[in-house]
Amino acid sequence: MNGAQDAILLRGLSAVYEGESVPAIRDIDMSVASGDFICVVGPNGAGKTTLLEVINGILPHTSGEGTALGLSISENGDRIRKRIGYVIQNFEIDPLSPFLCRNVVMSGRAGMIGLLRFPAKHDWDVVNRALSLVGMESYASRPVGKLSGGEFQKILIARAIAQEPEVYLLDEPFSNLDIKARGDVDRLICELNRGGSTILMVSHDVGSIPLSCTRMILMDRGRIVAEGPRNEMLQTGEISDLLRCRGSEP
Amino acid sequence: MISLPFALLVTATLGSVLAGLSCSIAGVFVVRLNMASIGFCMSHAAFAGAAFGLLVEVDPLPTAMLFATLTAVLLAPVANRAKLNTDVVIGIMFSLMIALAFIFLNLSPGEAASGTALRILWGSIFAVSEYDVLFLSLLSLVMLAFVVLFYKEIIALLFNKKLAQASGINTYVFMLAIVFLTGLAVSFSLKLVGGLLVYALIINPASTAYQFFWDFKKIMIFAPTIGVASCLSGFVFSLETDFPIGASIVIVSALVLAVSIAVSPKRRRRSSASFA
Ligand SMILES: Nc1ncnc2c1ncn2[C@@H]1O[C@H](COP(=O)(O)OP(=O)(O)O)[C@@H](O)[C@H]1O
Ligand SMILES: [Mg+2]
Repeated sequence: MNGAQDAILLRGLSAVYEGESVPAIRDIDMSVASGDFICVVGPNGAGKTTLLEVINGILPHTSGEGTALGLSISENGDRIRKRIGYVIQNFEIDPLSPFLCRNVVMSGRAGMIGLLRFPAKHDWDVVNRALSLVGMESYASRPVGKLSGGEFQKILIARAIAQEPEVYLLDEPFSNLDIKARGDVDRLICELNRGGSTILMVSHDVGSIPLSCTRMILMDRGRIVAEGPRNEMLQTGEISDLLRCRGSEP
Repeated sequence: MISLPFALLVTATLGSVLAGLSCSIAGVFVVRLNMASIGFCMSHAAFAGAAFGLLVEVDPLPTAMLFATLTAVLLAPVANRAKLNTDVVIGIMFSLMIALAFIFLNLSPGEAASGTALRILWGSIFAVSEYDVLFLSLLSLVMLAFVVLFYKEIIALLFNKKLAQASGINTYVFMLAIVFLTGLAVSFSLKLVGGLLVYALIINPASTAYQFFWDFKKIMIFAPTIGVASCLSGFVFSLETDFPIGASIVIVSALVLAVSIAVSPKRRRRSSASFA
């Protein structure tokens, strides 16, 4: 299996959660070339989050094989993860969380800086630049516990940017953002992609696919059901059918 | 007021300071990582281990460590999963360990309610030897070094375990280290504070610090400060009142925590939200 120029290459990948019998994702074939901008869309529970966690090795896959940045995802966990930025699907901020925004953003670099090394001035420069890229430079010394959902989401994005990764895995990056912030983050993601970063973004919302996205992959019940160029996919109606009819279920 | 020989006074004072220091540093991790149930089980396992030491007539320290470590080894994989049913774990382990401790104490040579046995229950300054102080000093040094050397990894881990892992930190090794250090802190402090109460010394000072500060650096400074202050004032309180030292320390630290929750600046305005 040759993953030299593929940022991510998955062949027949399945993952079953412990104690479950049905795989959360199954027989996933996917190749993401370096510099690509790919969006995976699908209804809630389609397996999008699972897919991202299998790619960065947080979740072990149960069959098939995969490489990220040319390294096997089952063998090189920490090495791969240092080079992949992850924006986690929004989680509840604990208002008592005792961390300042700049510390949270710096924690994105903790792995790549390496054990027994202290953040240097350069690292803090990167952190400050990441904070200003998301428009949160004035929040550097604010506690994360006091942020609104949207502000917190931007800090999580800055945290991934500070890692200076080659690949970004973005899990619903627009959740909790108002229209203006959506526009800002949309532009930011496109800019990261223009700068050479590979983007794999997942979303349940077809309306939020950035223009720079080249290819779309439609997932349902753990499988890839359709894929193609962004514009074609948006016209087929398949996507909106799937998302709309599922969306109307209670 | 009890007057003590100078050497005993020094040992007891040092023991109090170091127990407060190491337990409250462990507490900063235990509280933030939601490992309270593991800390709870390890404390009582250490207690059962110490009772076992009495039974087989060896120093209770190594047996306490053995029991705490075994519990940690058993529970660490459980802690690493999301679906930990803490109530069940506590219910089983706590009652099992206390039952074991009482059986061991009951079978111990001599009278069951002898002074030595009771010291294991609620601690005593007379049980603390120079060796215990030496071990506590070494442990405190190791813990301080751990915090300083791995500060950025600790922040990443305590902010969010999954994100820490996703940025390339070996979170499993850090979780193991934290569980192991907590087990040592519990075992080394057990003779002074007592097996039934040492858990409170882990939780109370750290929880107090979390009430007041938004900056992790301040929590890392104030949790140990509060821990040491609680232990020293508990020690003085026990000299004044002749109460067992463990009970005195826990009363002081629990009062401090209660007051701090009442006046916490973090809890104002957000009183409607509950974050257990
Ligand atoms: N920790 C877990 N244990 C068991 N099943 C899970 C777990 N997390 C997710 N699942 C299941 O896996 C499927 C895919 O979930 P997920 O990847 O979160 O979907 P999406 O991100 O597309 O909404 C869902 O059916 C969900 O119920
Ligand atoms: Mg999801």
